[in-house]
Amino acid sequence: MSSLAHLLPLTVLLPITAGVLAPALFHRRGLACWWWALAAAILTFATTVTLWRQLQSGSTISYPLGGWPPPYGIELVFDGLAALMLVLCALSVLILLAARRYVEATVPSSRQSLFYALILINLGGMNGFVAAADLFNLFVFMEIFSISAYALVALARGPVAALAALKYLLVGAVSSLLVLLAVALLHAQTGSLNMSDVAGLLAQAEAPGASALALGCLVVGFLVKAAIFPLHFWLPDAHASAPSPVSALLSGLVVKMGIVGLVRTRILFAEAEIVPLLMLDNLLVWLGVIAILAGAVLAMVQRELKLMLAYSTVANMGYIALGIGLATPSAVSGALAHTVYHATIKTGLFLTAGSILLCTGLSRVDDLRGLGQRMPLTSGALVLGLLAATGIPPTAGFVGKWQIALGALQAGQAWVIGVILAGALLTLGWAIRVINSLFFRPPARARVITANEAPVSMLVPSVLLAVLAVSAGLGGAILLGLVEPLALAIVGADHDH
Amino acid sequence: MITELFDLRPVAAPLISALCAFGIMLLGHHAGWRIALSLAASVVKFAVVLSMLPGALEGNVYRFSAGEILPGLEFAFRVDALGLFFGLVSSTLWVLTTIYAIAYMRGSHSLRRFFGFFALCVSTTQAIAFAENLLTLFIFYELLTICTYPLVIHSGTLEARRAGRRYLIYTLSGGAAILAGMVMVYQATGSLSLSTPGLLHAGIDERALLTMFVLLIGGFGVKAALMPLHAWLPTAMVAPTPVSALLHAVAVVKAGSFGLMRVIYNIFGVELLDTLGYHQVLAAIAAITIIVASLVALRQDVLKRRLAWSTISQLSYIVLAACLLAPLAALAAVIHIANQAFAKITLFFVAGAIEKTTGKKRISELDGIGKTMPWTMAAFTVASLSFMGVPLLAGFITKWYLSVGALAAGAPVYVGVMMASAILNAAYWLPILYRAWVKPPESPNPPRREAENLLLWPTLACAAYVIVLGLGAQAPAMPFALAQSAVAFAFGLEVVSP
Repeated sequence: MSSLAHLLPLTVLLPITAGVLAPALFHRRGLACWWWALAAAILTFATTVTLWRQLQSGSTISYPLGGWPPPYGIELVFDGLAALMLVLCALSVLILLAARRYVEATVPSSRQSLFYALILINLGGMNGFVAAADLFNLFVFMEIFSISAYALVALARGPVAALAALKYLLVGAVSSLLVLLAVALLHAQTGSLNMSDVAGLLAQAEAPGASALALGCLVVGFLVKAAIFPLHFWLPDAHASAPSPVSALLSGLVVKMGIVGLVRTRILFAEAEIVPLLMLDNLLVWLGVIAILAGAVLAMVQRELKLMLAYSTVANMGYIALGIGLATPSAVSGALAHTVYHATIKTGLFLTAGSILLCTGLSRVDDLRGLGQRMPLTSGALVLGLLAATGIPPTAGFVGKWQIALGALQAGQAWVIGVILAGALLTLGWAIRVINSLFFRPPARARVITANEAPVSMLVPSVLLAVLAVSAGLGGAILLGLVEPLALAIVGADHDH
Repeated sequence: MITELFDLRPVAAPLISALCAFGIMLLGHHAGWRIALSLAASVVKFAVVLSMLPGALEGNVYRFSAGEILPGLEFAFRVDALGLFFGLVSSTLWVLTTIYAIAYMRGSHSLRRFFGFFALCVSTTQAIAFAENLLTLFIFYELLTICTYPLVIHSGTLEARRAGRRYLIYTLSGGAAILAGMVMVYQATGSLSLSTPGLLHAGIDERALLTMFVLLIGGFGVKAALMPLHAWLPTAMVAPTPVSALLHAVAVVKAGSFGLMRVIYNIFGVELLDTLGYHQVLAAIAAITIIVASLVALRQDVLKRRLAWSTISQLSYIVLAACLLAPLAALAAVIHIANQAFAKITLFFVAGAIEKTTGKKRISELDGIGKTMPWTMAAFTVASLSFMGVPLLAGFITKWYLSVGALAAGAPVYVGVMMASAILNAAYWLPILYRAWVKPPESPNPPRREAENLLLWPTLACAAYVIVLGLGAQAPAMPFALAQSAVAFAFGLEVVSP
């Protein structure tokens, strides 16, 4: 074990410790707490960069906690999937950057430290979740990021937010219980909790029915977390009513954890022949197709910008599920690339929507007419983000769609291409409405006319992410090269038997 | 025979316009900067594109690759004969249109946005012309759609927004079809390169080939205004005249025609298409479009709408010529890109100049306009005579080669189509000329009121070029030779002798 491996637990412990300490250290000192949170997030990011460079140069890094070797001890692994941490941390830093002014304006000072603490704990939970190598810790970290997410939604005041948070909490709790049940079932079957251990032992499991039930529970649990249609119903209200930086965090990053969970589940059951994975794949394809169309149509009928963005997340999670379900190397690598790209695009979009909400107090698209005159940079960033969300080449949204379409052909399901394109065109339908409203209509509201450009600390993350969203597609070959080994690992296990 | 050279110019040409757009967005508050940047960029770009002409005539092909964007797919530019021909036409016309637009748009709102996106459109058109593979072409094809949108709805009225929405629905659906076709081509061949005379081969499942053909042709056919995919074009004429002129007579619609030619000559290839026979259906559709659009044009009273329907008809000349799969007809297809562009832009410039100077938009109001605006109407006369196919003008060259090609391809029916189209063209242009020159004006001796110089000069320059293209088509330095080598490449011939 190289000394660098000690950095791995740090990615989890650093943000969680900093988060737990924050309310105690910085009560009623919001600005100081912001600096503290930002520093912690940046340090965590630096840690993941170091780990990632190690991963690039050699093999995966694993860390047995307390020195107990697996399968008895708890293990953290920094593998291809865990490299997602890099994205999680980088985007969290940007979210924190944008959050300061938003929090100052909307969160009472007694609760500000709580806000930053929850964001850090959420980040730690997600880092732990992607790196967890055993089932129980997978569950524990899932609870950490989920509960902090419920609390973050509830931090926004108002009846909608409270109700949304409650709905989110109830649905989330059910999905967590399902995952816990699955973990218990698998432990009963194999006597182990370490995932690679369980994967090997499942083949000799005595009661395949129980294993199948565990698979079902895991899939449903993670489908809820990933907000795959029709299990998405908790998402729009929660994401739209949460404070905007939190919306960015939830829509950009937290829902992606469901996908990570699904991928881990798929790898877990790939070696065992008890349950045909084909069924799971077909399920994902169909759910993905429905989610793409339903999400886009539902986004189209919304009037509030943040609700549109939230439904667009539903559609995009559909693309990712579809890509994984098609189970060809191109499609899976496309889905993984889209996970990263969509995280970037949607974080940027919600942060930008947050700037608009903060500067004008308006959220309905029709009220935002003419805002392009007053807030050109913010509005421009929103437009770029929307174009990327529709997947116009060469934006970031294009790469995933191209790869998934290619994968659909390879899987002999050419009709899926029609769905992918229909989804993109529908997305464009509502994106154009927003663009028209911002740039080509005269102002209808006094607050638009008096609005000023967003503060720099909000502008920088918005514009940076918008530029990334439209240009990152040009680096598609690089990102696809990075996720390819992982994609092959996911489908390769399938091809063995 | 063809030498590939690494060169920065293929990427520099689109980049100049893009940088110009960026500069305008930054500094465009001041009219001075806006005009200086637009003019400088258009002239510099024209020089860059033109500097590739001598080398291209010697058989050089310039290439630039910026690396892979998707596995196995490069973001690359490659200037071959066909691409340079289209690139030359669009960069020449950008210079003239910029001058025209500066005068025409004076006093309008949001000029920074207008000129910025105007330059971006030209940048993307140039990139379409120079794209090395279908993906690069497609990227800029879609960007062109996005960049023209703010220009179409520039006025911001309800009518403009409606036209803009219709434009986007049509062109982006077309784009989606292209994307689907492109994925299929890539899956079948592992490449999307446009540097071969035929990427697909006969070994591929015929149903798949048919699907690809329908998707790709249907997709590009939207911008090429092939019937029944044309409905966006007449409504999009709500845009300011320089936009209609450059984008809807040259850049956008020609990007569609150019894409169709790339699909026919570089993706399918003459040989494969000849055995498959799909081209005959497409040729029939193009012929129908030529006739029907002309019939509709006859009934239009608003000048710009008549021009729009005439564009739809003329664009299908290119498609028809390309579909005949005979070298001489192909020659007609390539040179008609230039012939139609110069003649049609002249007509649009005139329509805009009349509207700007007198406020008249309808043909029925143009009685005796030749007396008040003789130079403007002289340009109009030259261009419309060219469309009728009067010898010594550009349009005649197209009709001649297309007819000869049709005979060579064993389809004499299309000679009849050419004749019918010539008669129809006469039927909708001659009444305008009659009104302008022969009919007495409303008031007896109206004062001479020519359009202002900045509007008039570009118009006259275009009209003059229509004559030059007709008279001196075969002169050694003319792009005609470029068209010949493009056709020779597509058909695998040594030389194409007209």
